[in-house]
Amino acid sequence: MSSRLPTWLRYALQGLAYAAFAVVIGYFSTSPQYRLRADNDAVLKLSFSHSAQLQHACRERSVEELAKISPHMRNKLDCPRERAVVRIELDMDGKPLFQISTPPGGLHKDGAATVYRRLPIPAGAHQFQARLADGPDGAINFSKEIRVDLAPGQILIVDFLTGSGGFVFTQS
Amino acid sequence: MPDSSPTIGQRLFLSIEKGFNTFFGERLNPLYCLGAIAYFLLWIVIFTGLYLYAFFETSVVHAYASVEALTHGQRYFGGVLRSLHRYASDALILVVVLHLVRHFVFNRHRGYRWFSWVSGVVILWLTYAAGINGYMLPWDRLSQFVVTATTEWFDVLPVIGGSMTRNFISNANVSDRLFSLLSFMHIGLPLSVLALLWIHTQRVPDAKTNPPRALMVGVIACLTMLSLFKPALSKAPADMSTMVARLDFDWFYLPSYALIPHLGPANTWFLLLGATLLMLVLPWLSLRKTGRKKTWNQAVRPDDRIIAVRPGETLLDAGLREGLPMPYDCRNGGCGVCKCTLLHGDVSLLPFQESALTAVDRASGKILLCCAEPRSDVEIKYLPLPGAKALPVKQYTARVVGLDLLTSDVMRVCLRVEGGVPILFHPGQYINVLLDDGARRSFSFATAPRVSDEIELHVRLVEGGRFTPGVFSKMQVGDRLRFEGPMGAFTLREDSTKPIIFVAGATGFAPVKSMLEHAFQSGSKRDMILYWGVRSLRDLYLGALAEQWAREHNNFHFIPVLSEPRPEDEWRGRTGLVHEAILADFPDLSAHQVYACGSVHMVQAAYPAFVKHGITSDDCFSDAFHLSPQWPVRGADAEMVKLGGSHV
Repeated sequence: MSSRLPTWLRYALQGLAYAAFAVVIGYFSTSPQYRLRADNDAVLKLSFSHSAQLQHACRERSVEELAKISPHMRNKLDCPRERAVVRIELDMDGKPLFQISTPPGGLHKDGAATVYRRLPIPAGAHQFQARLADGPDGAINFSKEIRVDLAPGQILIVDFLTGSGGFVFTQS
Repeated sequence: MPDSSPTIGQRLFLSIEKGFNTFFGERLNPLYCLGAIAYFLLWIVIFTGLYLYAFFETSVVHAYASVEALTHGQRYFGGVLRSLHRYASDALILVVVLHLVRHFVFNRHRGYRWFSWVSGVVILWLTYAAGINGYMLPWDRLSQFVVTATTEWFDVLPVIGGSMTRNFISNANVSDRLFSLLSFMHIGLPLSVLALLWIHTQRVPDAKTNPPRALMVGVIACLTMLSLFKPALSKAPADMSTMVARLDFDWFYLPSYALIPHLGPANTWFLLLGATLLMLVLPWLSLRKTGRKKTWNQAVRPDDRIIAVRPGETLLDAGLREGLPMPYDCRNGGCGVCKCTLLHGDVSLLPFQESALTAVDRASGKILLCCAEPRSDVEIKYLPLPGAKALPVKQYTARVVGLDLLTSDVMRVCLRVEGGVPILFHPGQYINVLLDDGARRSFSFATAPRVSDEIELHVRLVEGGRFTPGVFSKMQVGDRLRFEGPMGAFTLREDSTKPIIFVAGATGFAPVKSMLEHAFQSGSKRDMILYWGVRSLRDLYLGALAEQWAREHNNFHFIPVLSEPRPEDEWRGRTGLVHEAILADFPDLSAHQVYACGSVHMVQAAYPAFVKHGITSDDCFSDAFHLSPQWPVRGADAEMVKLGGSHV
């Protein structure tokens, strides 16, 4: 069952097999190139994590209601934890890019609403208008308009930070 | 041919393996060692990784610079190790996937192998996770892509829901703590792979976790050459404020990332999780009713044991599980080392190479242990691998039942073990006769195993010796002897079809006689030729027997060679040194197996000469005896002792 091939030929063929193995490893470890975006595209990333207003206002419990509650938990105010849905709209050059409604996180719907979207957009100058509604009535209560000039490959981050006054557009 | 026609996949593998066998040989065929190669690659990854980690700085600011310094500052060491780390990781994926596909194609994922299959699938994903995690560390453009794509992919999961990517959304968000976490993961994940790999191989008896050394050298040389020709380099530093248009992509680790833009992250999750689930349940899915549900028994000779063969087990798996010294090498029906005789019962044979089990073999009842699954209770007979797990060596007491002076200085001594216990041995092995002071003298079995309850020894008189003179002068029928055995690794290899050349010098004929009688008995059709070298005609003490064999067996020839024929011998046959006679008749020994037994001088002269004429070490077997102790050779202790036996 051993090979009848001359020793030099066996070694040569083994060398070829190892070389083929190396070529496969070497080639597919870097090639073919993967295209992440079109050459003339910039990137927009909408990312925020925002705790909306409470869905329901606090109300005072009645005496009957308080009586049904254990004495150590008898808080006069009933403040439901549920927060409102966050609605965000982002327009570019007057045309809508995103219209997203995000429920609050958490089992009791009392957490922050988190959104992440990535979208390629053509490079160049653009007018952006962002609007956000985070109250129970759904009315827009934050908005910002900005003009941005983006180079190919540049990333524009649209964030919402209440402490910074609302929308934050970041580009390096 | 195997009992069921091979599938297309099996045919493909068999034909590639057949091609590889022609120049790698069955023992070094990488396709028979995929699991062991994967182990080896993982060790390369771990050891190179340890070195890289010593120079790697786990901070956002310094990670890139530290990898660059290692790559370019230590170009021919650290740089090469980095490349080795990368390419061994890539090769690991390729080899593991091939390993998985091969086992699936050959249906070796069912039955008791389900555990190895399922753990193998988990190992594959863990390996992916470890590799992808590794790409995050150099903190270059590829790291940026991998981090972003991974976190975006995870963000689609309900629990995470968009919060993970925010950790990497801008340069300001990426902290040193995140880097420490990534580094920690890159240590933990490979260690998990290693631990699971250990568990993975536990279920397979005697699983090979190290490839043959030649394969190790080949693999590491090949990857090192690749590292030198195409070093693994970092891309530009990561910059979360921009995104490059194209990337050099690792298609071994990142193909799923290329799917995400086309399928969407959620669908890619569904696809991969669905594929994983399918792979996990594959052992229990059957498109064809190939599964065997019943446990059968196999009676095994020469061990005289009956062992259960569980569903999905081959006879080899079952034997190894029970610790039997069954011979094997490739375990894939390629080498034929595990060839044995089916004495009784019925087996189905999984696909194998025709060269490993010919039609003639099958017609004569041979099967491959590694490919045979029982269809009934079976009885098999195999030749245990000498040296691997030898038959148990025990001490016996025997009585002399026959003394026959074959020539002036050779006595045939027949022994019978007290208690009538037959001694198990392989043809070619020997015993050590124990002298009163514990000294040992070695003599080969001169009959085939199991032909008689008597042990035949050929004892040559060594003048001045401590044991043999007594055999000729004092020993009588009825005397008691103590001995230990069986010993030695000089045994007949029945896994080859090559013609055999036996070379015997003087009483080196004894083990050759044992092998020949065994071969005749077992119906071997291999061409066999015996060259028996002695000084003069009177030393050819059983020449008539050898001539009788030559008359009775067409596949056997006998050529006596005398080195110092006396005039009264009127010798017209071959003269000179026995190995020179062989080389004159066979200038090319590459297609033969040679078994040589005689004095150490004869063997030492013959072996290199045979090698020069094309014999490989795999096909040349020798047993030499010399005087013991070696100095003084003519002292009172001088006696014949086997090399490899116990020297006193």
